[in-house]
Amino acid sequence: MLERKWLQNNGRSFRFKASFSPCLILEIIQPDMQIIQKELAELAQHAPRFFNGSSVIIDPQKISGWDKADYETLKQLLLSQGLVPIGVRGGNAPQEEAAQLAGLPCLNTGKSAPLEIVPAVPENTLRETTRLVTSPVRSGMQQHAREGDLIVTSSVSAGAELVAAGHIHVYGVLRGRALAGANGNKDACIFCRTLEAELVSIAGYYLTKEEMASIPTTPSSIIQIYLQNEELHIRTL
Amino acid sequence: MTKIIVITSGKGGVGKTTTSASFAVGIANRGHKTVVIDFDIGLRNLDLIMGCERRVVYDFVNVIRGEANLKQALIRDKHVKDLCILAASQTRDKDALTMEGVEKVLKELSESFDYIICDSPAGIERGAQLAMYFADMAIVVTNPEVSSVRDSDRILGLLASKTRRAEEGKEAVSEHLLLTRYSPDRVSRGDMLSLADVNDILAIPVLGVIPESQAVLRGSNAGIPVIMDAESDAGQAYADAVARLLGEEVPHRFMDEKVHWLKRMFRFREKARHENTKSA
Repeated sequence: MLERKWLQNNGRSFRFKASFSPCLILEIIQPDMQIIQKELAELAQHAPRFFNGSSVIIDPQKISGWDKADYETLKQLLLSQGLVPIGVRGGNAPQEEAAQLAGLPCLNTGKSAPLEIVPAVPENTLRETTRLVTSPVRSGMQQHAREGDLIVTSSVSAGAELVAAGHIHVYGVLRGRALAGANGNKDACIFCRTLEAELVSIAGYYLTKEEMASIPTTPSSIIQIYLQNEELHIRTL
Repeated sequence: MTKIIVITSGKGGVGKTTTSASFAVGIANRGHKTVVIDFDIGLRNLDLIMGCERRVVYDFVNVIRGEANLKQALIRDKHVKDLCILAASQTRDKDALTMEGVEKVLKELSESFDYIICDSPAGIERGAQLAMYFADMAIVVTNPEVSSVRDSDRILGLLASKTRRAEEGKEAVSEHLLLTRYSPDRVSRGDMLSLADVNDILAIPVLGVIPESQAVLRGSNAGIPVIMDAESDAGQAYADAVARLLGEEVPHRFMDEKVHWLKRMFRFREKARHENTKSA
């Protein structure tokens, strides 16, 4: 850890600053230098100014067996098209060695944990961000699913409020307010069985009870409220 | 094991104090040692309804502040043997109640009483929250009209979250609905919410329905809880509700329209005429 005085100017001729400058990542999908050269040249013809002087980080993660990584050739190849390779990230140990031989620094040293150790999340488990509410949501209460969906198996009284970043499902009677897509997710929906809500809202677009009264819905069906063309629509499934 | 029952509603004027007085008398009459506490500090009414206002010397706040002990402050009811009243203070406000003070008093009362009835003030502020905090059971008093139902719903939300049982994750406070000032003929005319309408929203077990009755006001003015007026329909309905609270199965009464015999006859004729025209 650098001491604070080194990070400040303090009369020196230079200073270090943390920064994220934009640069391109070149993911190698097929390590055939001839094909890469040909395709790069084609791209450069279509957009000649696109590559001009751009810095590039080479990422060999997509290919597994490229142990004899020929970074020297690749480096020259990129330079010839006006790209400036500044380093390599995400390679395995022999690839890193090859990169260093070619004079390219390895940029993934900050992330010490190898990717293989990351525990895989089983796909069939419910996301933890989904909230399940089984007790009645009474007047004055608010149930909030900050990141995911909100599922309510009981009734929601008038004066109660449901807020979710994702979808809202209500299996009892919905009499209160329901605000789905609270963080601006326009694909969020509200599902309920009887629509007596005071207000429904998706990503900030809303319908009040008065406005909903004019929309015909058959009783005791499943109702979906969704956003389309900046307008809320109600349909029965 | 002492049971602490809170009589609450959210809205004012729906019959909390009337209900507290009648339940206290009803439970004590069945041989359970009962105490009823007025939590409505600053607007004390329970002593009036119970007819003991002239005997109040020390009150609930005096006991909390250590200015009197419980024995001095408890007023024995003159009608029922096993009943005591702890009056509210009229000169203070609800901030005089503290959580520790209320807990201490309830703990001390638990040693000598079977039932402690807490008459909650209206609203959802400190007084009401302290009245419900230590409860094992809640009787939610509701009138058949939308604002009262809405407020009761709010109170049910608080009972599920702002009580000791809820905070300690114990078994929830058991909730009971008492619908008061019910008028079956106004319901049938569509002027009043029906029991079914109310219970559609609140969805808790119904302890009883108390009909709108002249006897309630008469009893309040005389300082005699309406349950003691065994002739009146309201008094009988309260007695039924107390029986249900103590675990008896009593059928619901006073929920049908009272129809005058002349009107009934007229209706019969109307119906007959209708049938005749249909067949012709």
